[in-house]
Amino acid sequence: MDFYLGLAQVIGIHTLLGLSAWCVLHTGQVSIAQGGFFAIGAYVAGMLTSMWGWPLGLALLAGAILSGIVAVAVGFPALRIKGLMLVVATTAFAEIVRLVFFNLTWRVQTPAGLVGPDGSLGFGGIRYFPGNGWSMLEINFLIWFLVAFVMLFLGWLDRSRVGTLWRAVGEDELAAQSAGINLTAAKVSAFGVGGCIAGLAGGVFAHYATHIEHNNFGILLATFAIAYPIIGGLSSLAGTLLAVIFIQGILLEGLRFLGDWRSLLFGALIVVVMLVRPSGFLRRSLGESFGRTKHA
Amino acid sequence: MDFLYFLDLSQSIIDGVLFGAIYSLIGIGFTLIFGVMHKINLSYAAASIGAAYLSLLVVSAVPAPLVYVAAAMMGGLLGWLVYLICFRFLPLDNPLASLMSTVGMLLAIEELISHVTRGMPLNFPALFASTNIELGPYFIRGDLLFVFVLGCIAMVALMQLLKRTRLGLATRAVAQQPVAAQLCGMSVNATNASTFVIAGLLGGTAGAMAGAAIGVLSPLMTLPLTVKGLVVTVIGGLGSIPGAIVAGLIVGGVENLFQFLRGVSERDIYVMLMLFVFLVFRPGGLFAAPGGRD
Repeated sequence: MDFYLGLAQVIGIHTLLGLSAWCVLHTGQVSIAQGGFFAIGAYVAGMLTSMWGWPLGLALLAGAILSGIVAVAVGFPALRIKGLMLVVATTAFAEIVRLVFFNLTWRVQTPAGLVGPDGSLGFGGIRYFPGNGWSMLEINFLIWFLVAFVMLFLGWLDRSRVGTLWRAVGEDELAAQSAGINLTAAKVSAFGVGGCIAGLAGGVFAHYATHIEHNNFGILLATFAIAYPIIGGLSSLAGTLLAVIFIQGILLEGLRFLGDWRSLLFGALIVVVMLVRPSGFLRRSLGESFGRTKHA
Repeated sequence: MDFLYFLDLSQSIIDGVLFGAIYSLIGIGFTLIFGVMHKINLSYAAASIGAAYLSLLVVSAVPAPLVYVAAAMMGGLLGWLVYLICFRFLPLDNPLASLMSTVGMLLAIEELISHVTRGMPLNFPALFASTNIELGPYFIRGDLLFVFVLGCIAMVALMQLLKRTRLGLATRAVAQQPVAAQLCGMSVNATNASTFVIAGLLGGTAGAMAGAAIGVLSPLMTLPLTVKGLVVTVIGGLGSIPGAIVAGLIVGGVENLFQFLRGVSERDIYVMLMLFVFLVFRPGGLFAAPGGRD
């Protein structure tokens, strides 16, 4: 039972990551930086609870807000670059973040001993969950509550004017500009919201894993982050959840019996999915499938 | 800062520039594929290292220089395979789908290499490894110089191919105007496939050069080569081959410079920051392609 609870936790955290990438992909920007915001949220929230004893809610909020601020700061120069160059620039940003945390050493004396990020040895001792007696079921509730909250928030955003603006910018920037849409506001706000969500996911990840290091936040994680919305279908939020369940649940865990050959088949299966269904699993949002038309 | 410090500094830069020929070739490969298909092939560096691994199959049977030729040919074959699997059958107006499938290909190639070699790095034959040329106070390593000269030969051969042959003409035509090229009777599919093969030849050479310069081949090399290759492509200007050449040498030199100044764990931070500086002041790259379609 614990195994399935652990799997549910991983699926939940990766869903949040996928949703953060969904925001940014919606405006047509392919950003590999979500892994970097995830890392910032993880380190900040972990440091706040373990080194200075902040309560969990405040620490997660602080991690999310700080990631959001950094995302907005990255979003502004990202306005000048499009397409492949944005991919490279965000990859470079994610690498910078990873390397900064690789070199960061900041330890503080607490009643439990020396705690803090220790350079290449990583950041251990984030013992909020075990220290306060949270069971796996309760951690799951927290994660899935956050997932539900973010999905409802993004669904509301999508059906409001903001979502229309994002989709317009994503479809055709020139047409959106000539209709009078403020390109800067749309793109930077998408980056900011995506960064906040990724920071939130990172904060929860740090507490769930209790030990984080720079390797957890590499380009592979960022690639997973954009893979979930692309494979799930960009027009649908539920598609992202489906894609995470598919990739984490079926591919990574279900193929466990294959042993070492798992990761190989994983790469091959992504290629196959893209060949068979290039626009993603779900082509329309769940609301549309049940008969309600999308608002203009 | 005494004279010796300055000597060490410039020696690092020279070594870095010689190594940068590898980054130039990878950058040329990325930029060639992007120029013709307007899509990015993220598995390119992995396929290059894979080609170097494949050339090791014949290392015991042929003299050392032919291993490099074998690597190039394997690279061409792998390039054609990547085109067939990831690009041929995907709808052209969905760039994200081909991006994802090349990512899947990158993961698959890396895992395949790790499986077959059981994760152990393999030795790669390096020519002129024990020669050192003295140029005043500087030492120029023989194997790095060989790698650099090989890279130059490859670049010159590519330019000749693009400028003097019909295949090169077709490649440039499809890059500029695919519809008009089709109207002139050029097969876009065949030209795209041949672009991938040409890029693969270059990539195989680059993979072999990386193996020769470092001395071993390891699946851990694929990701840094991919990232640095993309950085080179962007700094040089998307679709511009001279840009990729110059940018590769610059990135190689700067990388070694920062390694000398700040140590190996921080040097990539500064290389990436340099990329950001370029993107802020010259988003088109050093040699921005004229009349952008993008």
